[in-house]
Amino acid sequence: MSDIFQALLVPLQYDYMLRAIWVSALVGGTCGFLSSFVTLKGWSLMGDALSHAVVPGVAVAYIIGLPFSLGAFVAGLLAAGTMALVKTKSRIREDATIGIVFTAYFALGLLLISLKPARVDLTNILFGNILGIADADIRQVLIISVVTLVVIGIKWKDLMLFCFDSNQARTLGLRPALLHVLLLSLLAATAVAALQAVGACLVVAMLVTPGATAYLLTDRFGRMLWLSAGMGVVSSIAGAYASYFLDGATGGCIVTLQTLLFLAAFIFAPKHGILASKRRVRASTSSLP
Amino acid sequence: MSGTDGMMSLDVEGVSVAYPNGHLALHDASFHLASGTICALVGVNGSGKSTLFKSIMGFVNPSAGRVNINGGAVRGALKQHLVAYVPQAEEVDWQFPVSVRDVVMMGRYGEMNFLRIPRAIDKAKVEESLRRVSMWEFKDRQIGELSGGQKKRVFLARALAQGGRVILLDEPFTGVDVKTEEAIIELLRELRASGCIILVSTHNLGSVPEFCDQVVLINRTVLAYGPTADVFTEQNLAVAFGGVLRQFQFDQSTVQEHDGRTIRVLTDDERPLVFGKDGHLEYTNRKEHEELLRKRSEEHE
Repeated sequence: MSDIFQALLVPLQYDYMLRAIWVSALVGGTCGFLSSFVTLKGWSLMGDALSHAVVPGVAVAYIIGLPFSLGAFVAGLLAAGTMALVKTKSRIREDATIGIVFTAYFALGLLLISLKPARVDLTNILFGNILGIADADIRQVLIISVVTLVVIGIKWKDLMLFCFDSNQARTLGLRPALLHVLLLSLLAATAVAALQAVGACLVVAMLVTPGATAYLLTDRFGRMLWLSAGMGVVSSIAGAYASYFLDGATGGCIVTLQTLLFLAAFIFAPKHGILASKRRVRASTSSLP
Repeated sequence: MSGTDGMMSLDVEGVSVAYPNGHLALHDASFHLASGTICALVGVNGSGKSTLFKSIMGFVNPSAGRVNINGGAVRGALKQHLVAYVPQAEEVDWQFPVSVRDVVMMGRYGEMNFLRIPRAIDKAKVEESLRRVSMWEFKDRQIGELSGGQKKRVFLARALAQGGRVILLDEPFTGVDVKTEEAIIELLRELRASGCIILVSTHNLGSVPEFCDQVVLINRTVLAYGPTADVFTEQNLAVAFGGVLRQFQFDQSTVQEHDGRTIRVLTDDERPLVFGKDGHLEYTNRKEHEELLRKRSEEHE
């Protein structure tokens, strides 16, 4: 018995594992909070787009020796700006706009990386490398997460109103355009942080799945925020920890766990799960004469 | 809050709005409304009703002309939270995870500090507003679990909680049962009595003479505005709607002869508008209405 216990504690004896676990937890929690806004605002595709569009920024930052998060953040905002420009100045629909812009940025990033393969590791960007994360990168993740959490802590009600009814926000004298840019910036920043943990390909899962799961579990926004953040933290800790035993990709473990949570909610959620709605249908048909 | 009990005015002066795609939605629109009025905004789809609403709420900047509220720019009125908006049902995400009380509390955000933590007065206002529309017992419901009429009343309560003095309602009677419609109209009358300016965009022509004392007829510009009895005429409506309105003419009502002086028009759509032989409007309670008109003209003198 104590052998098993001992074996379970093994990962925690390694510094790199501990670091991977707490950095993942921080990233998972931050993404979790934000995912509530992303899913309700209908920005899921936007999150996917941003996480891919930051790649050229990362490449350029590494090549010229700047902090990677700065480059990524700038590239993310540029991409968002490009999408807004194409959308307002042409008759192309929004989904096509997003598709064109984010692939363009991503392709540029791939090209840059392939030109300077020695400077940047493509695999790290695409799939993350939380186990080998450098101290400088941890510092950047820490700064991004703290700033994002503080901003959400102060402004979550304004952002909620913006997501729910931006016209009402405007008639109250708030500035929806400013809130729009704020939410977009937070999204770009956390996409950059999550890049470290799970890589560009899976960032969107961190930014959407916990929010979508929480949405099935509650009808109150405040509770949804805490649920999605909690699931982000727990799945990140468990995923990083499990990846030691499975010897698998950390990002893959975290996102698979989040998907399992989503499936559980999808089936068993007390009010919005498929079992509950089946029960309701049965109850209403059986009450008929 | 400043201006709560003061006199209100809404002046739309030569407003033109052009959208970036070059579409001129509104051209040289002008009308003026004073405290204590319910004004109907009537026109076909695409006549610029929502553009007019947007310019009163400061969402679009007129390319010419201006909108003044209490003699100042719209921006200032928004800062004082004087303008409240009750949206159309289609504009709202009913699956959003908020309760009835959460939504009404959003009307108070302007008054709260930057963290939007409700104070005792905010909670009291929310309760008072919800009780006023008889929705307090539904306060913990998620908004999607309400009927059409209840949904409308929640957003009306939000406008009340906000303390808006210029209240814009977009199609308040679509999807609403007759009882709720009457309750809403009753509430609007109370607000009018307290000096609010209420602008109602509606397709429900039949109910306009019932509760609106002013009418603005619009089709890309203001065709006519003024007291309902003067503006809401067959000729003006024909101009505003062109051939769009369905018309039934009973030159000689055989039913009337048979059943005495009662006619009944059933409709499954909106309430029909009924004109008398000389173009007089049909009211449910004509005597009460004439009394009101008389009182108003006395007040003016």
